[in-house]
Amino acid sequence: MLVVPAIGFGVVTAAYVALAAVGFTLQAGVTNIFNFAYGDIMITAAFVAYAVNAAGATLWEILVVGAVTGAVVSLALNRLIFRRFVRHGINRFGMLIVTLWTGLILQNVLLAVFGPKFFSLQVSSGRLFTFFGTNGILLTGVQIISIGIAVAAVIIVAAGLHFTRIGMAMRALATNPDLAQASGVPARKVLDYTWIVSGIFCGLGGVVLALATGAFEQTTGEDFLVIIFAATVLGGVGRPVGAALASLVLGVVMEVSALYIPPNLKELAAFAVLVVVLIVRPSGLFSLAKEGAEVAVV
Amino acid sequence: MSAIDFYATTLLVYFGVDVLAAWGLNLQYGLYGMYNFAFILFQSAGAYTAAVLTLGTPSHAFGAQQYFAGAALPFPLPILIAGLVGGVLGLGIALIVGRGMRSDYEAIVTFVIAVMALLVVNSVIPLFNGEAGLSLVPQPLGGVLRLSAGAYSWVYVAFTALVCLICWVVIHRLMASPLGRSIRAVRENPRGAAALGVNATWCRVVVSVLGAGIAGVSGALLVEFIGTWSPGSWSYAETLVIFSAIIVGGVGNNIGVLIGVFVTQIVFAEGSRFLPTSLPANLVGSLQWIIIGVMTLAFLWFRPQGIVPERRHCVPARPTGGRQAAARKTDPAAVSGSPLVPGRGGS
Repeated sequence: MLVVPAIGFGVVTAAYVALAAVGFTLQAGVTNIFNFAYGDIMITAAFVAYAVNAAGATLWEILVVGAVTGAVVSLALNRLIFRRFVRHGINRFGMLIVTLWTGLILQNVLLAVFGPKFFSLQVSSGRLFTFFGTNGILLTGVQIISIGIAVAAVIIVAAGLHFTRIGMAMRALATNPDLAQASGVPARKVLDYTWIVSGIFCGLGGVVLALATGAFEQTTGEDFLVIIFAATVLGGVGRPVGAALASLVLGVVMEVSALYIPPNLKELAAFAVLVVVLIVRPSGLFSLAKEGAEVAVV
Repeated sequence: MSAIDFYATTLLVYFGVDVLAAWGLNLQYGLYGMYNFAFILFQSAGAYTAAVLTLGTPSHAFGAQQYFAGAALPFPLPILIAGLVGGVLGLGIALIVGRGMRSDYEAIVTFVIAVMALLVVNSVIPLFNGEAGLSLVPQPLGGVLRLSAGAYSWVYVAFTALVCLICWVVIHRLMASPLGRSIRAVRENPRGAAALGVNATWCRVVVSVLGAGIAGVSGALLVEFIGTWSPGSWSYAETLVIFSAIIVGGVGNNIGVLIGVFVTQIVFAEGSRFLPTSLPANLVGSLQWIIIGVMTLAFLWFRPQGIVPERRHCVPARPTGGRQAAARKTDPAAVSGSPLVPGRGGS
């Protein structure tokens, strides 16, 4: 049966979707900004990782470099552009345009620097692991590491949001920024932390995506955003465990559907899930951020 | 055809086509407040429709291109049907995203639709010849008019201008009509409008279908002139450029939108002249996008109402209205402004 290996692929796909989606859902849930530049920040991290990889960095080093790049770029974009526009009093639509253009500018900077071609990271894929017999699931060391990082990311974010003071402050800001600030939540600091933490997962997600797809270019992150959106909406904005479960569903659905439709169209399965969910429940599944929730002005 | 003729007519046709598309998007976003990042799809659908309806049946296709169906219809029909196809797609989008979906999700779903449509057309080659796209679309009435290439191009420019004029009249009449006022009311205050009996769904369908139909016609006009259409022409970023034109020119103001299209097009077509010629070609392309992006962000920061802001729609006070009328005169809610101006409108 081909279905068992397809489910194995699905779990691997779910790992890199979950890694990126956990960061995105945290960011969107706490800041109430839907950051359309997220995919481009991911791919920026992948390009920086590519540059250090070309200089001879190993797998663990490029993962660290990717995470740091994601955090730095996210924090910088928030401080230099997003936060300023929010304080300037821009409305929700204007903010979408700002993030979309920021992403496109980032993409074109990468295009200008690296040129229009495909890139790939050179790391040894480690030893092979087999599960469920010889016709079962075959995973490489890199894929096992990706799954491990994704699981760790989900646990850290979910536990952090519920059991730490900073996590509580994030949830307070997400629900009612004015009340949270009046109650003494240092909004600016908490939001900076949110951008840093989500940026780390964004960067890690970018590197893992680049490893998983083999060849990537400047627009790879933008296309991947579709799946991140599907996972976020399906799992509920601001809910990391929901995003992880949704990623698992989407990953398996996409890889199993690739047995029946052309594999390069498998994203359509994620798209179909997203549209069906939103037609049944136009306000999304169990969202942390309510409609009309204000973007915190700090 | 001289080089000047070629350059001027191509630029003018592109200008007319972009103005049509921007007016269509301005109906959807400027008048109603719809977050539609799949807008370029309507133009693209129009272009593909007109192309296959001009090229003839697939077995008679020029070159090695393949597409799923086609016909060789006489001149105005492909453009009209392109408008219809655009309108039908507009109806679909209005019905998918219109049912009380939160505004962020509206943006996400339309964005996703745009990316997915591109993926499908790129990957399923029998549909519209995949990434290579359709080409060698014959120009309409080329055999009947028997003009030189230069003269023909100028006739086509005049035809484009005529279409723009017709669309302008239609849009203007809609915006000035009672229905236009209702649509604007839904944009400013959906609940208030609903309480007064305005059917928001109907308003949404009207702007979406009309805007999409105009975009479909614009795509058809373009493909009948330049003769080719491929996925490279309609990435989601193209929608963003139309939004930029609207933001630069003035959301909700058709004259402003026309100026906005002019400005963005000048930056695209002429901006590269001010860059050093020693730069490689792909760098120039990237820089053009970066310049348009920075310009849009600058406008959002310094002048969110655009070059020509939307006209204020004031409700005249009745002479015998007393306190109510006086209150209405100063009530900011009675004055509608650009949805991008902080503190007013939007949702």
